[in-house]
Amino acid sequence: MRILHPDNTSPAQADKTSTAIHLRDVTVSYQEKPALRSVSMDVPQGEIIGVVGPNGAGKSSLVKTMLGLIQQDAGEILYFGKPIQECRQLVSYVPQTGAVDWDFPVTVLDVVMMGHFGRLGWLGRPGKKHKKAAIDALETVGMAPYRNRHIRQLSGGQQQRVFLARALCQKAEILFLDEPFGGVDASTEKAIFSLMDNLAADGHTLVVVNHDLSVLDRYDQLLLLNQHVIAYGPPREVATEENLRKTYGGHLSLLDKAEIAIKDHLR
Amino acid sequence: MHTLAQLTFEPQLWYFPFEELPEGLWTSVLVGITCGVLGCFVVLRRMALIGDALSHAILPGVVIAFLVTNNTGVWGLLLGALLAGLLTAVLINLVSHKSRTKEDSAIGIVFTALFALGLILISNLPRGTHFDLQCFVFGIPDAVNKEEMYLMGAIAAIVIGIIILLYHPLKLVSFDPLVATSMGVPVLFFHYLLMGMISATVVAGLKTTGVILVVAMVITPASAAYQLTDRFSRMLILAGFFGGLSALLGMIFAFILNAPSGPSMVLVATAIFAISMLLSPSHGYVFEKLRKLRLKRHIDGEDVLKAVYKLEQNQETATKDRIGELARLPLERLPKLFHSLSREQLLNFTEAAATLTETGRHRAIELVRSHRLWESYLAQHANIPPGDLHPHAEELEHAHELADEVDKTLGHPKHDPHGSEIPR
Repeated sequence: MRILHPDNTSPAQADKTSTAIHLRDVTVSYQEKPALRSVSMDVPQGEIIGVVGPNGAGKSSLVKTMLGLIQQDAGEILYFGKPIQECRQLVSYVPQTGAVDWDFPVTVLDVVMMGHFGRLGWLGRPGKKHKKAAIDALETVGMAPYRNRHIRQLSGGQQQRVFLARALCQKAEILFLDEPFGGVDASTEKAIFSLMDNLAADGHTLVVVNHDLSVLDRYDQLLLLNQHVIAYGPPREVATEENLRKTYGGHLSLLDKAEIAIKDHLR
Repeated sequence: MHTLAQLTFEPQLWYFPFEELPEGLWTSVLVGITCGVLGCFVVLRRMALIGDALSHAILPGVVIAFLVTNNTGVWGLLLGALLAGLLTAVLINLVSHKSRTKEDSAIGIVFTALFALGLILISNLPRGTHFDLQCFVFGIPDAVNKEEMYLMGAIAAIVIGIIILLYHPLKLVSFDPLVATSMGVPVLFFHYLLMGMISATVVAGLKTTGVILVVAMVITPASAAYQLTDRFSRMLILAGFFGGLSALLGMIFAFILNAPSGPSMVLVATAIFAISMLLSPSHGYVFEKLRKLRLKRHIDGEDVLKAVYKLEQNQETATKDRIGELARLPLERLPKLFHSLSREQLLNFTEAAATLTETGRHRAIELVRSHRLWESYLAQHANIPPGDLHPHAEELEHAHELADEVDKTLGHPKHDPHGSEIPR
């Protein structure tokens, strides 16, 4: 499978200062079973990348590898030219909201304050300016009025926004969002997208993992993944019926097929 | 060969030792506090089974330390227990991650194996040595000596010191380990740190409750605290307090009732837990009832204000009878409502009549406005015929903080559906 680069330049030729994320031939295997084969891509700073593929396609493995949570067998991952170990604070992870216990005894502000930990270190204590930064982050995602609420009282979309605020509090340049639209209604999805647009306009680079095929055109770049890269590039060029069939194979449901067919008619 | 039949029931060993009161008592209180605080992490991280596992699995460590040092010196036992506790945590981690065995099964396999190994080791102790298995299993507080009390004090101070120093990373690691890892926090280190602290506390506290009941001291006070607060720091403090209190009261009851001390500490902790379930501000029965009562009184009070306002508008004297009639409240409830309204400086009243204060009149106008706005809203947006509007609006008017929003949505109407003016 040929690996597509957005502008057909090789990674080496790409302008290093504007390339936020650089992946070359990243290969990962779980207990001898390959999960990702030779994934390469360059992500320009300030863009929103959609990572799309069926269950078991290696989307989570890719994100976890990029975050340094899983060791890759081969290949290179660089953020602004540096490996993750040298720039952890540049990169932040927004997990699926189902990943934590929402009954945990913390308030919305407490959760956002946790974003400071990476810079504060083990014995560091957050002070007034950290609190202000956390409230600013909540302001950005429109959750400041909820700061003293217990996290149990939040809806799915609000939980997602609180996680985003924590990532902003980390002052990260690159954000990984894992299924941010899970259990969220259409209007909240729209709100989260416009929030992501604002972040991208501020120079943040966002990698969004999503299995939903309905919002493909909202991304700047699309990575179609099924263990290897099926296609990578702007959605208009990449989201063709053929590519999606290759990505989803037999997993593509009739409804998904209908959706693609309708989109092809409109094109 | 020895058999488990040695585990005979000898109740006289458990009786409360009056002359040994200070050591046993203070050690128990220290164990209670430390277990309570550590228990918060166990409860929140859903590791209750691990607490049970650790307490059992330290047996071989204790026996080996006993064999090596050939006495029951506390420092040797502590080291043995710490190593055994950490080994347990590592083995559980290995079994659950390197095979398809799920964590709960892995815990079960590892701790029973280690406990069994400990029992075999005991049966092979050289002739003439006396290892008191019963003390290990059930605890004997009168066997606590000064040295052990100081040891427990040191452990309590170290554990609480570590938790205060590493409060923020411990909170992050417990709430969201995945994100903590992505920030470069060594999550596994913190896991083993907690395991180590629990092992040390359990072994130092063994003589007070024994391995079977020490789990209760870890889980129960922390669970009680969890019912009562939504803040992590408060939960830690409350759990420590409940743990210490359970130990203190448990020892006192054990003395009064001539009962074994470990079990009575556990029952006190359980009683505290039961009370906290009833009193929990968010889920508890008592506060639920209180909240409903308070809301009812608030609504009744507002109805009284509105009734007095209407009577004043009609130039009538606001007697109790007329107020009761208009507000649809039984007369015997009125004096109480009058008192609380006058405390809030909304109403003045004598035997004969009630009058509104300036603030009271404002509140009443606000209610009338809210009522009429809601009637307009319901008529426009819910298609309710004008005749049926009143009872619905009568409920909704108490949401008067939303009146401005309703007003805006409706485009600032001047009159309600019945033609009455909406006050500004």
